[in-house]
Amino acid sequence: MTLLSVENVCVSYRTKNGVLNAVDDISFGLDEGRSLGFVGESGCGKTTIGMALMGLLPENGSITQGRIIYGGRDLVQLSAEAMRTVRWNEIAMIFQAAMNALNPVHRVHEQIREAILAHHPDTLQADLQQRVEMLFDLVEIPRERMQDYPHQFSGGMKQRAIIAMALACDPKMVIADEPTTALDVIVQDQILQGIKTIQNRMNISVIFISHDIAVVADVCHDIAVMFAGQIVEFGSREEVFETPIHPYTRLLLSSYLTLDGERPEPIAFAAKTPNLITPPSGCRFYEQCPKATQACENDPPEYREISSTHRALCKVVD
Amino acid sequence: MNILADRIHLIERLAKGWAIFRQNLLGKIGLTLMIIFALMALASFFTPFLGPTYDPMTGVDPEISHATGPSWRHWLGTDFIGRDIFTQLLEGAKIAFMVGLSAAFISIVLGTIVGMLSGYLGGVMDTLLMRLADMIMVMPSLLILLLLAALFGQLNIWLIVLLIALLRWPGVSRIIRAQTLTLKQRPFIEAAKVAGASHLRIIFRHIMPNVLPLSFLYMTFRVTSAILVEAALAFLGFGDPSQVSWGMMLQWVWKTGHMFQAPYWLLPPGICISLLTLSFYMLGRAMDEVLDPRLRKEEHSG
Amino acid sequence: MADADKKPIVQLNGISKFYKSQTSFFKASTETVTALKDVTLEIPKGEIFGLVGQSGSGKTTMGRLVVKLEDPDEGRILLEGQEINRLKGRALKKFRMKVQMIFQDPYQSLNPHLSIADTIQEPLSIHGIATRQGRRMKVIKSLESVGLSPALDFMNRYPHQLSGGQRQRVAIARAMVLKPEFVVADEPTSMLDATIAIQLFRLILDIRNRFGVTFLFITHNLAAARFLCDRIAVIHHGEIVETGTAEKVIKDPQHDYTRKLISAQPSFTYGGANNSEIGAPEPR
Repeated sequence: MTLLSVENVCVSYRTKNGVLNAVDDISFGLDEGRSLGFVGESGCGKTTIGMALMGLLPENGSITQGRIIYGGRDLVQLSAEAMRTVRWNEIAMIFQAAMNALNPVHRVHEQIREAILAHHPDTLQADLQQRVEMLFDLVEIPRERMQDYPHQFSGGMKQRAIIAMALACDPKMVIADEPTTALDVIVQDQILQGIKTIQNRMNISVIFISHDIAVVADVCHDIAVMFAGQIVEFGSREEVFETPIHPYTRLLLSSYLTLDGERPEPIAFAAKTPNLITPPSGCRFYEQCPKATQACENDPPEYREISSTHRALCKVVD
Repeated sequence: MNILADRIHLIERLAKGWAIFRQNLLGKIGLTLMIIFALMALASFFTPFLGPTYDPMTGVDPEISHATGPSWRHWLGTDFIGRDIFTQLLEGAKIAFMVGLSAAFISIVLGTIVGMLSGYLGGVMDTLLMRLADMIMVMPSLLILLLLAALFGQLNIWLIVLLIALLRWPGVSRIIRAQTLTLKQRPFIEAAKVAGASHLRIIFRHIMPNVLPLSFLYMTFRVTSAILVEAALAFLGFGDPSQVSWGMMLQWVWKTGHMFQAPYWLLPPGICISLLTLSFYMLGRAMDEVLDPRLRKEEHSG
Repeated sequence: MADADKKPIVQLNGISKFYKSQTSFFKASTETVTALKDVTLEIPKGEIFGLVGQSGSGKTTMGRLVVKLEDPDEGRILLEGQEINRLKGRALKKFRMKVQMIFQDPYQSLNPHLSIADTIQEPLSIHGIATRQGRRMKVIKSLESVGLSPALDFMNRYPHQLSGGQRQRVAIARAMVLKPEFVVADEPTSMLDATIAIQLFRLILDIRNRFGVTFLFITHNLAAARFLCDRIAVIHHGEIVETGTAEKVIKDPQHDYTRKLISAQPSFTYGGANNSEIGAPEPR
């Protein structure tokens, strides 16, 4: 069952140098209980998508086009008040470097209570207590640690507390933006496995945003590869990993260092994002694409369906 | 060719700073005021051309030998022995700038060097210098100056400038020291160490350029306090009697009993002192915004 | 190729380093944190040696000790057989010509007030090498050799005009301009995107292959170490738990912690090497 349907969404920012088209004509769907990963390098627009879905774009940002259909409603058209009820109750977010967002002078369990009360002010104390305990169990933080202050938590535990806060109001969907950067590999692995378990158990849909393709592949059913504000390839993780079509996806995968398999041959270039205030009229990857043809420079590419679930924004490669 | 590029870069940064400064209302008012006073100070160099009757110190109008109100001949009137008040005001502007800027400059140079050495070297040096700074900061500077003046009779104006600077550098040094302490940890300083840079080189080539903007900022505050201290000294009768400063003018008004009889004489120096110090303060606040990116009115970027 | 043939360029013998930290805001007492505990290590000449550990493991401290940004509390460090602990003055300056460092944060490791040319030529001018003209030529050559070409384009720019990857190349150029024999690279790519990181790895390999420079590559990423390094040491809580060639450490780990690191590495293989599957891919 489709939970979220994003159709032709464009997001731009007003800057002093002009209008920056951060996200251009994005469309995708997310089913109940599935996880979708957005992977790309800095400046590709992946964080912007997360913020746009939550209605949390900064003052100079706005959704200039498109629809975000959730629960039968277009979130783009919702008033701020209505969006507020959707936020956290239906869709929760784990921001980048969220562990620094914990208030150091309040105990951790208090902050989770606050999160619940902010959206359900009528909750009874007893229910509140029960819910907090259940959340701690869910993210595997021992109950004795509930009374602690954030600085007494390790980095991994803080991140788990943040996840607990995101789940506090029982959302159907969670957007996680780089939830494991700054964490050690071992802790990262624990958090990722934890997210997978919770997702399974509670049938939550997850949108996972990361620059690390390995992390995304570990956690997500489907992958959307982003470059310069566009989804250049979309498919299941098997499809994207085994049969990558878009040259940028191939470049990204070639930078993916593993512990087994062959030592990859570094490709002789790195991807630079073009100017998004005056984006090129043709393919945005043209400058750096080893397969580009003359036609790619001026004509914008269109999505090619490689299978019913796999598409790529390229007209050359197959 | 490097020098040219450096100059261009400097100009770019100045232009950017100016653009930000321009948007700041306080800064614009402060700058305007300061320019007015600067013009006054410049004008004081030309008063000799008006003839000996207009000399601020000795110019005695043969026809007037007492305090008179504003007239065409004397725009602000004359003081108790017939000297032109307006030229005195101009002269006072010159003195104020001289004293203010020199005292501020010396105290900033001292304070910056001490702050950098203290912050960078740490240890015993740091403790010694900061204790010295504390001791000086605690001393009531005006009182000390008065005592010294009483001991040595009249003080020469340059001595006053030097003394003000010597009593005022500690404040700056604390700020610079704090800034140096944060800079010390930055990787580019460590990179310089690893390359083999000596302490002196690191201090003057790497730390100083990053600390100078702060020094200049504090210079504006030092100017205001220097002007006020000199005015206070002069008013109390301990200034340099050979210089016509605004404080000195106020002293004459008071001493000759004209406080309530001659507002045209009393008010101008007082207002000038207030406005000039205010203008430097405003400038300082505006520069604060230029130098500290966090204080700027936001310009969002994606 | 017998290991014994490769002479060690850097040796650490029984190195320990302690830090004092205040335990709480109110208590006057301090706690001693052991950053490194009795570390003994040999780095063969001409190799890229990986030091892999998580945050707090002591890996950065070790790098700092080898370049003498700090001194050890116990033990000795030797460069080409000579002890470096008590170097001072001229001997210290000579040491600095042989051992250099590349820092982690490209946004903080270049002085924002100095042009690129000034930054790179500074080590030369500190050591009194060449004339002003001569130094300029060396800067141009070094910019070209790290891939910042045409050099004249970059000479007069300032750090804020360069991207993270370009800044890191400048940092590499600065480290290499004195033609050192040993370079410590402290997580040089952890703040850069993957495609850029790969380019820098290639550059480091290139430098080692052409000039025989020995690298100590400090990282938290075992896969990166495997890609770049000949030999790896795994460090955990200030102690070296395992050393060996990269292939051996990864294929046949001896220590429990190494095994934990290996299994924690995110990976994807179709069919699921991971135990907790998301759920078998549904046929559609």
